[in-house]
Amino acid sequence: MDMQIFLQQLINGASLGSMYALIAIGYTMVYGVLRLINFAHGDIMMVGAFLTYFGMESGLSFELAALLGIIGAAIVGILTDRIAYRPLRDAPKISLLITAIGISFFLENLFTVLFGATPKAFKAPEYITKVFHIGEIYLPISVIIIPTITLIILAIVLYILYKTKYGMAIRALAFDIKTVKLMGIDADKIIMIVFMIGSALAAIGGIFYAISYPSIDPLMGVIVGLKAFAAAVLGGIGSVTGAVIGGFILGFTEILVVALFPELGGYKDAFAFFFLILVLLFKPTGIMGQDLERGRF
Amino acid sequence: MRKFASIVAAGLLFSGVAMAKDVKIGVVLPLTGQIAAFGETSKKGLEIAYEKNHTLSNGDNIKLIYVDDRGDKVEAATAVKKLLNKDKVAVILGEVASSNSMAMAPIAEKNKTPMITHASTNPRVTKGKKYVTRACFIDPFQGAVMAKYALDNGMKKAVVVTDAKQDYSVGLSKAFKKAYTAGGGEIVKTVLINSGDKDFNAQVTAIKQANPDIIAFTGYYPEAALLVKQARDMGVKTPFIGADGVGFPELVEIAGKAAEGFMYTDHFNEAAATTPEAKEYVEAYHKKYNKAADSMGALAADAYGMILSAMEKCIKEGKASDDKECINTNLRNTKGYKGITGEITINENGDAVKSAVVNEVKDGKFIYKTTVNP
Repeated sequence: MDMQIFLQQLINGASLGSMYALIAIGYTMVYGVLRLINFAHGDIMMVGAFLTYFGMESGLSFELAALLGIIGAAIVGILTDRIAYRPLRDAPKISLLITAIGISFFLENLFTVLFGATPKAFKAPEYITKVFHIGEIYLPISVIIIPTITLIILAIVLYILYKTKYGMAIRALAFDIKTVKLMGIDADKIIMIVFMIGSALAAIGGIFYAISYPSIDPLMGVIVGLKAFAAAVLGGIGSVTGAVIGGFILGFTEILVVALFPELGGYKDAFAFFFLILVLLFKPTGIMGQDLERGRF
Repeated sequence: MRKFASIVAAGLLFSGVAMAKDVKIGVVLPLTGQIAAFGETSKKGLEIAYEKNHTLSNGDNIKLIYVDDRGDKVEAATAVKKLLNKDKVAVILGEVASSNSMAMAPIAEKNKTPMITHASTNPRVTKGKKYVTRACFIDPFQGAVMAKYALDNGMKKAVVVTDAKQDYSVGLSKAFKKAYTAGGGEIVKTVLINSGDKDFNAQVTAIKQANPDIIAFTGYYPEAALLVKQARDMGVKTPFIGADGVGFPELVEIAGKAAEGFMYTDHFNEAAATTPEAKEYVEAYHKKYNKAADSMGALAADAYGMILSAMEKCIKEGKASDDKECINTNLRNTKGYKGITGEITINENGDAVKSAVVNEVKDGKFIYKTTVNP
């Protein structure tokens, strides 16, 4: 493969990895505080993309519609916690997990019934989808914008976690919920903030995904959610930086497998998950992960 | 009173034994899921045909029972079992995707219930089956039409894009390759995709390196739309040719300008509708839905028409309109049925022998190019 094409694939991989990373952050944060694998998280991403789509359909500009999508998804995220997860705080973890799967099915089917299952065309504005080329390399502007924004967001999330009071409370929750409550901190409020941040990031990931692959449907979150979850595990679930690293690794693997062995393109998911198994065999806690029972970010 | 009289009259017509009853046809379609457009368009056509005629000459009423399989093989098989065991249908109509029809066919065969698929083109759907018939042509023919059209237009080097998850695509790719190489063309590369995938940049790069004259895409429209868009974004200007799985409005909606020039083979184009049956259907379709009549709907309407005509023959033979054996025999012996998509004759394998059309996307519309006879 010549250098230019390799470079092009590398950039594509970074763009795909960014979307996984954004969604993986939500998985990892919720897991950190609640020890819950929030299976509805991929569907929150779908909600974000759909709300943006409807915003644009009703005449809003792309930016406003995206804002609507992000806020809407954050609200849906908070609501799922309030309605479905909070009543089960003291229930066994497995009940919580099954509830999460239930919420996932509920969101998928609700959107299918309301808006139909036919893929809808997502029309992103010209300035993001425009393609420019340097020599043989063709690039939509989005593949530059997406990783950049992802890294900025990562910086913001890390800032919140390590430099603000709320961040300190979130990290404390991850260690021990009961003690945190005894300290007079409103744990439910902090958990709400975690869901809000996670869902908003998922929505941003969903909008990026819709810009890159302009066809959205109610089941779009299933596979992406699964891959983002794999990314979170790969990076070490519970670790935000790990989630981002995991996302990028997964994105690169997927793209490079197909680039190097185009005949095997149909099996790229298999390769991605095979790679995940391989890493976990040698480092069961993931790349950035430590002992699973110790909370951390 | 008049109703009573007509029932009596109908009863007398039918050797005085039976009262007018309901005859159930089970319809299995992907009404939701990734390929929902297949199901939705099929249903639209079916409804036109149903509204036109749903009473048999002996007064029996046809009832359609729709089951949504979400485009999933397992669900399709479950749907057939439900239709047979719970609803006791006389005939099964469906599916669109060959993989799903193949999951249904063995169950219909085992229960000796006639099944007709309006749009599954993979040869294995009917292969070795006595009770499975189809209203459409099969992929070896469709693949040959694609190959011939490409070669006739001077495109001698092809990359084939196969959807590894779909039997339809695997079979069609094989048929295309065979006809294309036999006609003097060269397959420079085969690229695999999976239905449900959205990122094809790597495949596009592989195609770009192979530098073909034509890209033969044998999958379905959701992937076609994203692939052609990503190919054009990456500067690949090679024309695409597809088959009956891509000609849906979603192709244009999702791919936008990138879809321009996409050629594909299909069963029907309303611009080529010349027979009275076709004209009547197109007119009714425009009136009801206010948009262009597509091939899936037309095929579904034809399959429905073939079932009704088989039932009428049974009535003439003095048998019940829901006699499964009789319906099946008459379906399999369909000869020169004047359908919307052309004249349909069923061969010894249960496959329809009929012509194909070639269309092309132009200014966002599906323009008729030519008709190819078997």
